[in-house]
Amino acid sequence: MDIKQFLKDASMAHGVSGFEFADIAKIVQERMSGLVDEIRTDALGNIIGVRYGDTTDPLRPKVMLAGHMDEIGLMVTKIEEGGFLRFTQVGGVDPRILPGHEVIVYGKKPLTGIIGVKPPHLTSREEAARAHKMSDLFIDVGMPEEMVRDLVRVGDVVTFKRQVSELTSDVLAGKSFDDRAGVAVMLVCLEELKRYKVAADVYAVATTQEEVGLRGAMVSTYGIIPDIGIAIDVCHAETPGVPDWKTSSMGKGPALTQGANIHPKVYQGLERAAKELGIPVQPDVAPAATGTDAWAMQVARCGVATGLVSIPERYMHTSVETLSISDVEKAGRLIARFISSVDACFVKELKKWT
Amino acid sequence: MKELVKKFTEGFGPSGFEDSIREIIRKEVEPFVDEVRVDALGNLICFKKGNGGKKVLLDAHMDEIGVIITHIDENGFLRFGSIGGVNPIIALGQRVYFENGVCGVIGSERIEDPKDLKLEKFFIDIGAKSREQAAEKVKVGDAGAFLQTAIDLGDRMIAKAMDDRIGCVVIVEVLRQLKETKHDIYAVFATQEEVGLRGARVAAYGVEPDVGIAFDVTGTGDTPKARTMDVSIGKGAAIKVKDSSLICHPGLREYLVKLAEENGIPYQLEVLESGGTNAGAIQMTKAGIPAGVISIPSRYIHTPGEMVDLDDVKACIDLCVAACQSPLDF
Repeated sequence: MDIKQFLKDASMAHGVSGFEFADIAKIVQERMSGLVDEIRTDALGNIIGVRYGDTTDPLRPKVMLAGHMDEIGLMVTKIEEGGFLRFTQVGGVDPRILPGHEVIVYGKKPLTGIIGVKPPHLTSREEAARAHKMSDLFIDVGMPEEMVRDLVRVGDVVTFKRQVSELTSDVLAGKSFDDRAGVAVMLVCLEELKRYKVAADVYAVATTQEEVGLRGAMVSTYGIIPDIGIAIDVCHAETPGVPDWKTSSMGKGPALTQGANIHPKVYQGLERAAKELGIPVQPDVAPAATGTDAWAMQVARCGVATGLVSIPERYMHTSVETLSISDVEKAGRLIARFISSVDACFVKELKKWT
Repeated sequence: MKELVKKFTEGFGPSGFEDSIREIIRKEVEPFVDEVRVDALGNLICFKKGNGGKKVLLDAHMDEIGVIITHIDENGFLRFGSIGGVNPIIALGQRVYFENGVCGVIGSERIEDPKDLKLEKFFIDIGAKSREQAAEKVKVGDAGAFLQTAIDLGDRMIAKAMDDRIGCVVIVEVLRQLKETKHDIYAVFATQEEVGLRGARVAAYGVEPDVGIAFDVTGTGDTPKARTMDVSIGKGAAIKVKDSSLICHPGLREYLVKLAEENGIPYQLEVLESGGTNAGAIQMTKAGIPAGVISIPSRYIHTPGEMVDLDDVKACIDLCVAACQSPLDF
């Protein structure tokens, strides 16, 4: 599989939380379909690919993978006089990065817009001293009001317009790698699983609505009833101004999380798989909520043993999220290796705590 | 309909204390449904049998915001906590009443700076001269509601608890008008919405519908220097796109838009930046349920003077009837 190409395609596809079906879901479905035995979508738009285990045992363990395919974005709240669009955020958008941004407004047809702001000449000193609030900003699609009203409705979603930059042959910068990188990891993993004999049924879920509260993962986990759930998401990579202990390093392998959200034996299993493959991993500690699909998966139904594998990424929730392709590839391989080690006995051990 | 609005909004039912309003609604709705039951959280679940269609859950919450007594001091003043989102600026000076009919007024400790207006500085004065006298009328744990009568302004009405008794009115009127339906209708008059969508969560789990539609009030941007919001009262039913609790099922949302257009029902699209609805809980039920919201635009939400336009209410009823009679095959 061409990881770089998928990352580029997925990054530039649109799919704001709740609106994944419009574009990204189609791409994911297409790429996943060749790698699984069955594929379906549920009421919240989650794409669920099932790769059945290689045994005839009717009680095969179920491993669920979750990488969320939604992205943060904006939504039109009002069409102002003159055709300017007011907007709100979907997911955690930092208003400070917005002025001057090019965006795409998904109206009756996609419209290119820019986020405008009052020029400095017309800004008072007091105003200039503080960052713009979202409520001060607007989108200008350059059209007369009547045309805007014809093409755009309240509730239309907006994404950043951003080409992927290949900073080096291994390092990409673009929007929405959070968490299309996680989806890429799942695809690598499914591809890799072809090389293994696997006892477990694997449910690869491209989840929806993670950015607005882990909603897709919550309901898909309920539907699947997995024994083990592994979320794949991004974590913060080293950034000037941020202390080392808050970040992992880009290009030095995936991060494996430990903490209350993570079952220790799943963590150990992932670590062991990494060691067996000689893949470097980085420690990540989350005392409580991980802020990922793993948090929702863990408490579905009677409880699920969870793990979390993360791709170190710089500038999360901006349109220049930056990551290393090698980390994605390593994460996929290591998860496949871990899955190949899961059998009924391993699952039984998960409930032994003493 | 005005009579029903008055009856429902003047009913008593802070979250967790919905017994009184439930009986008022039950009496109105019983003639139009086949079965009525109440679940462990006090949700009133009314079933109207269809004929081989889908399981459709219609939801409106019957609870309202209010107060609850936490302490009675030696002079007979009642300290209280809020049930749901009670804004101190609006609470001060309001009259409250308890289920047994006892009334009082919200007073405050001396406050120099309006920024210090906090519920913890407030108390309810029921005219008692001592702790003992107060204790004869109320006790710690009693819930109170704001006391306001509904006012008829012609096309528009003002009342307390329009949020969400107006939704309850919509559903009762829908059931009245729906003679026969293909779909099985589960009308849920939910409890505890104002404290976290709690009634709807368990009601939806119990019913496990194919589709859920909530009816609730939404804010507007049509008053002087209001927030930026493209919803006005008098401009029709608001078909929700998003609020803090959910992004409505896009298929269902577009289906409702199409129904409104085909039937000439005035509608507006709604994005509510803060605030949630029961549809958020319904959507997240079990393995996920397609959910949407038809909102009744309302000014001054969470005050004792919530205002709605009856033409909007009628549009919501018409849209819901049209939905119930349609195949819902989005």
